[in-house]
Amino acid sequence: MGARSWLLYVARLWAAGLLLAGCSGAGYIAPTPTAGAQVEVSIQSTALAQPDACENRFVERDLGVSNGVRIREITTYLSNGSGVAAADLNEDGLTDLVFARIDRGALILWNQGDFTFKEQDLHGEFARMVSAADVDGDGRIDLAFTTTGLQDVLYYHNEGGGVFKKSSLPGVTYRAHALAWGDLNGDGMLDLVSGSYNTDLRQHMTDMEALKQSTGIVYYEQSAAGFVAQRLQQEAETLSIGLVDLNGDHRPDIWAANDFLAHDRVWTLDGAAWKLLQPFGQTSYSTMSVEWGDLNNNGQTNLFSSDMAPYDISTYNMAIWLPVMDKLEERHDPADPQIMANVLQVPAAPGKWASQADRYSVAATGWSWSSRFGDLDNDGFLDLYVVNGMIAKNLFDHLPNYELIEENQAFRGTGQRRFMRAPQWGLNATASGRGMVMADLNLDGKLDIIINNLRASAVIYENQLCGGEALEVDLRWPGSKNPYAIGAQLELHTSAGVLRRDVRASGGYLSTDPARIHFGFALDAQLLELVVRWPDGALSRISAPQAHTLLQVTR
Amino acid sequence: MNDSTSSPKPAPAFRSIFPIYELLHPRQLTPWVIVSVALGLAAAWVSSMVWGTPLWVSTLIVLVAMVPVGIFKWADDKRRFGLTVMIISIMLIAQGTHTIEHLVQWVEYHILFFTPRQSNGLLSPANSEWVHFIWNWSVLITVTLLVTLGKVRNFWSFLLLGVAIGHTTEHSYALIRFLLVREQLDILCLTNTAQGLPGIIGRDGWLARSTTTEGTFVRDIPWLVNSIRLDVHFWWNAIEMSLSVAAAHFFLRGLNRPAAAGQPPVSAALPAANS
Repeated sequence: MGARSWLLYVARLWAAGLLLAGCSGAGYIAPTPTAGAQVEVSIQSTALAQPDACENRFVERDLGVSNGVRIREITTYLSNGSGVAAADLNEDGLTDLVFARIDRGALILWNQGDFTFKEQDLHGEFARMVSAADVDGDGRIDLAFTTTGLQDVLYYHNEGGGVFKKSSLPGVTYRAHALAWGDLNGDGMLDLVSGSYNTDLRQHMTDMEALKQSTGIVYYEQSAAGFVAQRLQQEAETLSIGLVDLNGDHRPDIWAANDFLAHDRVWTLDGAAWKLLQPFGQTSYSTMSVEWGDLNNNGQTNLFSSDMAPYDISTYNMAIWLPVMDKLEERHDPADPQIMANVLQVPAAPGKWASQADRYSVAATGWSWSSRFGDLDNDGFLDLYVVNGMIAKNLFDHLPNYELIEENQAFRGTGQRRFMRAPQWGLNATASGRGMVMADLNLDGKLDIIINNLRASAVIYENQLCGGEALEVDLRWPGSKNPYAIGAQLELHTSAGVLRRDVRASGGYLSTDPARIHFGFALDAQLLELVVRWPDGALSRISAPQAHTLLQVTR
Repeated sequence: MNDSTSSPKPAPAFRSIFPIYELLHPRQLTPWVIVSVALGLAAAWVSSMVWGTPLWVSTLIVLVAMVPVGIFKWADDKRRFGLTVMIISIMLIAQGTHTIEHLVQWVEYHILFFTPRQSNGLLSPANSEWVHFIWNWSVLITVTLLVTLGKVRNFWSFLLLGVAIGHTTEHSYALIRFLLVREQLDILCLTNTAQGLPGIIGRDGWLARSTTTEGTFVRDIPWLVNSIRLDVHFWWNAIEMSLSVAAAHFFLRGLNRPAAAGQPPVSAALPAANS
């Protein structure tokens, strides 16, 4: 074989390898929700407001809500900050905001419309996560908080009229840092998954045996009598929990994201028992938040986890990261799939996922915390936003105010297995972001962004991007124990493709997404059908929904 | 490169079908090679046991012990085959030794599961940006001289030249970044090492992070954007070594080719040593 033939042979092998790599996402396709009993629904349609302005960028609005400014010196793990929840707490159609704060009590911002808010102090506890879900199924969204210390989960029952009454979650006894709500066993009631952050607890607890007994990743099954705990594993450094259908059976599985050496874990309900799965070939090392969505509108769910990795490889940025990189050298263990980078999983084979974060150009977004997908530019494809930055004296004592200042990272989804950076959107803020959610606060069909910054004021980024259209959907299931249909899966069939969403009561880093679903699509796309798969498997079909409306679909 | 002689004496052709083996064989110096290795190992063992010196010192002792016999060997190569072949001999042995260092690192990382920082090979202090920068420029200059003045011209040698240019570019980029990061560290009064940062290729490298390559096919080629530095440089060296062997093999084989009628033997083109 001559030299030329050898070269041709090698080139063919290489091309075949590329082809295989390119096709690796074709293995698993989430089933379309076609099976299941059809149920009738009533539709209430409200026109969305016409956008006030179109400046083709986001406009920052300072909320004047501070977090962490009272603390003289921030070290790990105060540096982890806290979250934010977006939910319509008073059923007035406007999404309200709740901020957890590490140096003062939680705060509700009642949405008055037009980006004006009325403040209400909720309690005096220093909190981490804020979770918003109708826990008891009375039709009002309640609030639950995890705290910075050793307290149990704080539960505030929504009494209506803006009144929240401190109550308890009977049986919820383990230490918790992150929470997620969902009907995991299909009995119609919301169950709870919690995860503790043991590294932080070790700073507060001296009795290690007591710590072992009271920590872990825990599944709480709700019944009329309260919650029954089942600890899935004791080792936990949980910063984010996703309840997502990973195996296409339309039931949410548990995806617990852990910091440090503790691996990210996935459990699926197998009969009555939770079975540990190992679907990921690679996971983030210090997983701060998890997120999922169908990025290419091809029926495949993509999973994203955020971690710490510098997006900016300028010599200055590498120099300021080096001391920390030296401290946190990545382990190399054949049984350890963790890497210090964001991971974007795509289905590779039945039950298996592989990372393509490099291909999507999202492997590094700085010292990342919350990450959310959302169609920010209403073009029919999910975009990605990641907030970042770090403040810690024991890590960054070589920097002014011990702060690693980074620009939040926005990426425009192309629907072609790629993201493109979108600095033109004006979302590259340098405040140290932690909790973050996306919600349409002024009902104009565009997703705004709310960030709970550490040692800075919380901000809203009002979406003033131009173009595109939207449909928003509220699901209501009165009479059930899950009136907001948490866990429902929605498909919007359009002439440009099928868009998929799911209703959640958790989200990102220590935060909670709104239950309201937002679909963006191109102006010329025709809406053909909205398919709702309710949490019990029943289906509803709404033909030709009107664009630029908010649909309240009531079962 | 050319030895100027008034009447160049044709260099002897290689008899073996594996001329590299014939070239690299120590021939009459074999006993001295064995003695040098034995002495070097003994000295390394004593150094390690008595003074507790690290592995890299032991490696260095063995290499230093081999230098005299190496000099004799290459002098003999020059006498027998001429300057060009002697340089090929030096390059193959030096680059081969260098590749062994990278192979050891590869084994440490992929077989023994050391961390990247622990996977230092046998000569850890030599794994610095400066050493690699100088080494690869030396290789590039040598290959360039062989191709131009030494007339080592075949498909593989031109490919080798291309790869050597690529490898040297990678190390030049790495050295420049090392110096700039070191400057920033000095400003910040930090003593952290800036050795081993990503280069152009591989995880966190320029191809993986630059906005220039964002959204292009480059990001679709996994090893271009997510290989660790240790792997990147193992493969640079493995490819470079393989091409060196191929280039040398076909060049040396060419020396055996019988002369066409009326033509001088190919080996006559070789610059021979002054004798």
